[in-house]
Amino acid sequence: MMTSNLLWLTPLVPLAVGASMLLLRDRRLLAVLDVAGSLAVLGMVGALARKVSSTGPVSALGTFRADEMAVLFLLLIGLLGVAVSIATVGWMRNELARGQIRAERLRYYYALVHGFIATMLVTVLADNLGILWIAMEGTTITSALLVGFHGDKHGLEAAWKYIIVTTIGISFGLFGTVLVYGAAVHAQGGVFAGAMNYSSIAAIAPKLDPGIIRIAFIFVVVGYGTKAGLAPVHMWLPDAHSQAPTPVSALLSGALIKCALFGIVRFHTLARGACGADFSQGLLLLFGLISVVVATPFIIVQHDLKRLLGYHSVEHVGIIALGLGFGGKLGTYGALLHVINHGVTKALVFLIAGDAIGRYGTRDMRLMKGFLHVAPFAATLLLMGAFSLAGTPPFSIFISELVILRAGLSAGHYVIVAVFLAMVVVIFAGLIHHVGQMVFGEADKAADRGREAFSPLFGTLLLALVMVLLGITIPMHLDRVLARATETILG
Amino acid sequence: MSVVLAVRLINVLGALLLFTMLLILASGQLYRAIYAVAAQAVLLGIAGAVLGAATGNIDLWVIAGITIVVKAILLPWLLIWVVKRINIPRDIEPVIPINVTLLFAAGIVVLAFHLSASLGSVRQAITGNALPVGIALILLGVLVMASRRKALVQMVGLFASENGIFFTAMAISQGMPLIIEIGVILDVVLGALVMGILVLRVRSSVDTDIADLESLKG
Repeated sequence: MMTSNLLWLTPLVPLAVGASMLLLRDRRLLAVLDVAGSLAVLGMVGALARKVSSTGPVSALGTFRADEMAVLFLLLIGLLGVAVSIATVGWMRNELARGQIRAERLRYYYALVHGFIATMLVTVLADNLGILWIAMEGTTITSALLVGFHGDKHGLEAAWKYIIVTTIGISFGLFGTVLVYGAAVHAQGGVFAGAMNYSSIAAIAPKLDPGIIRIAFIFVVVGYGTKAGLAPVHMWLPDAHSQAPTPVSALLSGALIKCALFGIVRFHTLARGACGADFSQGLLLLFGLISVVVATPFIIVQHDLKRLLGYHSVEHVGIIALGLGFGGKLGTYGALLHVINHGVTKALVFLIAGDAIGRYGTRDMRLMKGFLHVAPFAATLLLMGAFSLAGTPPFSIFISELVILRAGLSAGHYVIVAVFLAMVVVIFAGLIHHVGQMVFGEADKAADRGREAFSPLFGTLLLALVMVLLGITIPMHLDRVLARATETILG
Repeated sequence: MSVVLAVRLINVLGALLLFTMLLILASGQLYRAIYAVAAQAVLLGIAGAVLGAATGNIDLWVIAGITIVVKAILLPWLLIWVVKRINIPRDIEPVIPINVTLLFAAGIVVLAFHLSASLGSVRQAITGNALPVGIALILLGVLVMASRRKALVQMVGLFASENGIFFTAMAISQGMPLIIEIGVILDVVLGALVMGILVLRVRSSVDTDIADLESLKG
């Protein structure tokens, strides 16, 4: 089989798995198919990564293309897909036992999750910027149904805000795409083959009209930035990420907002080529700084565990934008590494948070004391995850934040670095206070002290392993992917 | 059709599109806003046909047809069907007074024309005034959504905003590739269906407008 076929087969597999799930009713069969489908995706992503690392970018059908940038995001989606589907087995068992989800609606849940993963994969694999946008809106449609899946008042409110705000938001992204297409067609004096493709526009980027690309990039950052959760257009994020079913929260925070960032990075590369680095980097710095600053007070005063994690994602998307904005090899490399680190860690913490909320029957952290006695393994992982999220060594996020800080210093952005550091310190205190309160102390009698089952534990353990590993060392293969992706962005 | 005539027609259609947008912004009644956005889609279809005739690109005729069927008939019909199902009061309660909204709107239109006048030769790539009109329509759609707290009016604002994008996209040399336009329209339809489902589910369980829920805060 030709490897280039993998480009369209990879999203086709979850789509087919999802469609066939609609025909099934058996709970066990659905769970097996869920895990098998995710493993298949991870396997195909791995094969693609090998191919790209040995022969360079692969493209197919004139609309799909995978370079190292895409490989990086594909690996994240593949890994999170597997971990989340393993954790879903146990989560779903509890959810059914508590009557939160009715057994006859299970198949819709699983089918939507796989549809959601398929749309994320297309987003990353699309060479055509129009397809990228269509898939991005597809992720909104599938995941909005998942956010409101429980059908309670809060879930529906969050789903509505999510779909209406991100749909209008990314329509700005479509307008930006249209303008870039117009600029490319104008530069070549007419429509040419692959005129909407990222790879062909990147090749002629210096010839694009800088005026229109500037306007286009503003539309793109506001548009895809809404979907990525960059402040001040993040207002839907804490609602949607906290109200969604837990495995979906993990995918939304871990993978989806990174896919939106992927869109921004593609246009950032084009804008760099057309009007120099300063304009797009300045805009990313602005949005990144606002995100970090705006998220901080909400993290401090938050008592709802999943909302806390939602606001925390706003902060980290801001940090990634700062890394891209500082620019240079160091900043870009750090931002890409942070994409992986935050994705893995945030998914881990969300999965454990879901387990804890199930055991205590509340989301208020003030009422969830003594998690260490209730579920020792999960509590230990939660503590590790929280320390990692707060940027403590020896965990992975410390490394990427350090790289980004150094990039900021060497680029001479002292004020921004100072504000960033101050916020990180405050957030560290707030986060450790909240989580410490939850992990230690005397547990309530009513808390469910049931045995910690293989699932969700194994799914979270897998993520924790990656988190710890990336804190100690960056594997050679990953380093090469990161370095080459950095080169693609910097041109 | 000569190019000069096409440019003049596009400019006239652009002005009419802005006019329908003002009707949406000023309308105190839900049905009027829905009819105005349907009229806007008809104008958009005509613009597609004009550009199709001017450039000789058959794809634009197809897009014009799809636009009229989907955006002027199907989506307004869906909105009206939902309005009848949920049986809500049909007056629109603005968050910001309508006079102030219109003042904002005037500012946005001026800004959009000023912004695109600052562009150089690349403006030739887009027929007539399609770029400033497109920018104005997108921003005015957001204004509609921000100034009303009614789910269906917010959907009208969203569709109007998307009409602006389609208008500019059509006017770029030969228009966007057909397959992309069809994909985008498919997304619009699916998105509208999911929004409709959410509105109906909230109405049947808690008996309020979904856009009025505000229990999630802080």
